[in-house]
Amino acid sequence: MFHLLRLPRKLAASLALACIATLAQANDVIRIGWLSSLTGPLSSAAQAENQGVQLAVAEINAAGGINGRKLELLTRDTAGDPTKAVNLAQQLAFSEKVHFIIGPVNSGEGLGATPVIARAGVPNLVIGALEELTDPVKYPRAFRLINTNRQWISTANNYALKTLKRSRIALIGDTTGYGTASAKTATEMLEAAGVKPVYTVLVDPNKTDLTDELAKARAAGADVIMPWSAATGLVGRLLNARGDMGWNVPVVGHTALMAPQIRKLLNKPEYWENVVAAGYASTTFGADGKLPPATAALMEKVRSRIAPGGGEIELLFWWVAMGYDCVKVIEHAVKAAGGTDPAAIQKALENTRELRGVFANYSWSPTDRNGFPDGDMVPNIANTLRDGAFKLAR
Amino acid sequence: MLSALVAGLATGAVFAATALAYNVMFSTSKVLSVTTGHLPMLGGVAGAYVIAGLGLPWWLGLLAAMGTGALFGLLTELVAIRRVLARSDEHLWLLSTLALATMVQQAVGLWWGTEPRPFPRLIPQDFSAGLADQKFWLPIALAVAMAGGLELFYSRTMAGKLFVAMSEDAFAARARGIPTDRIRVASYALAGALGGLAGFAAGQLTFAYFALGLTLTLNGFIALAVGGLGSNVGALIGGFALGLLNALASYWFGGEYQQTIAVGLLMVVLLVKPEGLLGSKQVRPV
Repeated sequence: MFHLLRLPRKLAASLALACIATLAQANDVIRIGWLSSLTGPLSSAAQAENQGVQLAVAEINAAGGINGRKLELLTRDTAGDPTKAVNLAQQLAFSEKVHFIIGPVNSGEGLGATPVIARAGVPNLVIGALEELTDPVKYPRAFRLINTNRQWISTANNYALKTLKRSRIALIGDTTGYGTASAKTATEMLEAAGVKPVYTVLVDPNKTDLTDELAKARAAGADVIMPWSAATGLVGRLLNARGDMGWNVPVVGHTALMAPQIRKLLNKPEYWENVVAAGYASTTFGADGKLPPATAALMEKVRSRIAPGGGEIELLFWWVAMGYDCVKVIEHAVKAAGGTDPAAIQKALENTRELRGVFANYSWSPTDRNGFPDGDMVPNIANTLRDGAFKLAR
Repeated sequence: MLSALVAGLATGAVFAATALAYNVMFSTSKVLSVTTGHLPMLGGVAGAYVIAGLGLPWWLGLLAAMGTGALFGLLTELVAIRRVLARSDEHLWLLSTLALATMVQQAVGLWWGTEPRPFPRLIPQDFSAGLADQKFWLPIALAVAMAGGLELFYSRTMAGKLFVAMSEDAFAARARGIPTDRIRVASYALAGALGGLAGFAAGQLTFAYFALGLTLTLNGFIALAVGGLGSNVGALIGGFALGLLNALASYWFGGEYQQTIAVGLLMVVLLVKPEGLLGSKQVRPV
């Protein structure tokens, strides 16, 4: 009799506990750490990405959250400083105990912060292009959304070799870690394609004039210049030197070639002709002059926030799209994993195939943490920026 | 090759002008301020803002560049030098000027942006002028004029002679009734105005860029150490030598060796001739 009375009590208690747990989970917010260089070097990219991140968080929360759990965004400004990025990554992972970390924005910051985030076991959405930022063994919970540096280089190389059918290449890198590594990788990839650059040089990113380097490249017989530098000042000087020399050689390379700031640095607007950079299919106008529907839809959602008076978008829209996708990937992972358990999130992302985003369609696997497909990269004509997007270079 | 040499000379002229600004401040305070390279940076940014941003004539841009430099020179003396020198003989000014330099760089980055911006054309000239382009000869002419002007100032004017008196012995100068504090303030304003002028003249070469300051602080110091602390002609020679060496190192060996060779030059000069090429030996009486 005694046991018969106790059974319903136990059952009731278990049911009550289960209800409390469910309620607790519903009230338990999903905390997303966002390491963004909102000030300092490369802040323009971070500010654009931030618009996408904010919009996606607002949209998901307005729709009731993910599985009933609201998102809480913890934004930390790294100011582009790797030391700050590491300290803030530690704070987000260990003190704030976030469920996800997006960023940091710059590869240089990521080299320091990614191992810290990995040590904490927090799922990390990587948005730096440097190859070393992902590794399924060292950083099993780091999943990259942006393309890798090799994909940028490969797109530019393919355009120079296959579309332009030119193989006398002059490679110009800068002396920063990024520029040096990129020039080395570009040389290796060209040599693997059977092409040996006719001229290779690394220059200081603050070098005041590049006439001498271009004169040497011309003397070496170069018929295409490939700069690998994210420094817009250096890229502007290179295009000015080419224009002042009256040498209309094609320039093909890094996305910095089509940064809006370049236009202001040029001695003459026509110095931006015959320049092609690695870009993205999602922000490239089709033959009909239209953007992919997902990009166009997102643009209209954020236009009032990023374009003064709802006019033309002047920043590079792919940053906004990638920021938006970061949060949408989190939504996908939480739904697929049924919660925020880091191991389950890792498994869910490892099993993700062809997840449709605005910036790209992502696939990861247990052995590959680079989700951006080669097919979503295209060459763009650098001086065709209109409403945040570019024309395809053919 | 010739283009590398001319570009090297022009870049060296900016280093030389920075070294001259170092000298003016050092003469009255014995301080090598980390903010020195930020004076040309501020001059370039102020000039570009007034001419390109506000659409005002070039001479107002010039005044703004010199005025901004002079104001920052005064601020440096007030905030980072005066109290430190009054309280300590130690080299704490290194920290105080570094802190101020960092603050001003961050402030300019926040206001002006972190990407380089163009500096307007000052004299009508086609961009196909090649080596005769004003972006090269404006800083070269200015550095030479600055060195010559400072030599005349020190030798021909009473104010300049007061600078020299303070430079040789500040205590003796004060004992003879020279208002050393006011002279020091004036020297920082003068260095600021000259630094701002240098940044204005070199704006087309360097762009108006917030991060220029520390690069010029380092290279201006190397030029000064090579030429000889306190010598204006030495600063000029040191600046041009460093600019040429940078350009030639980059031309022959690539940019990755440029800084190593520049700092190597400093080491060699300090080992062989610690007082610099034209510096005077310091003799301690015993």
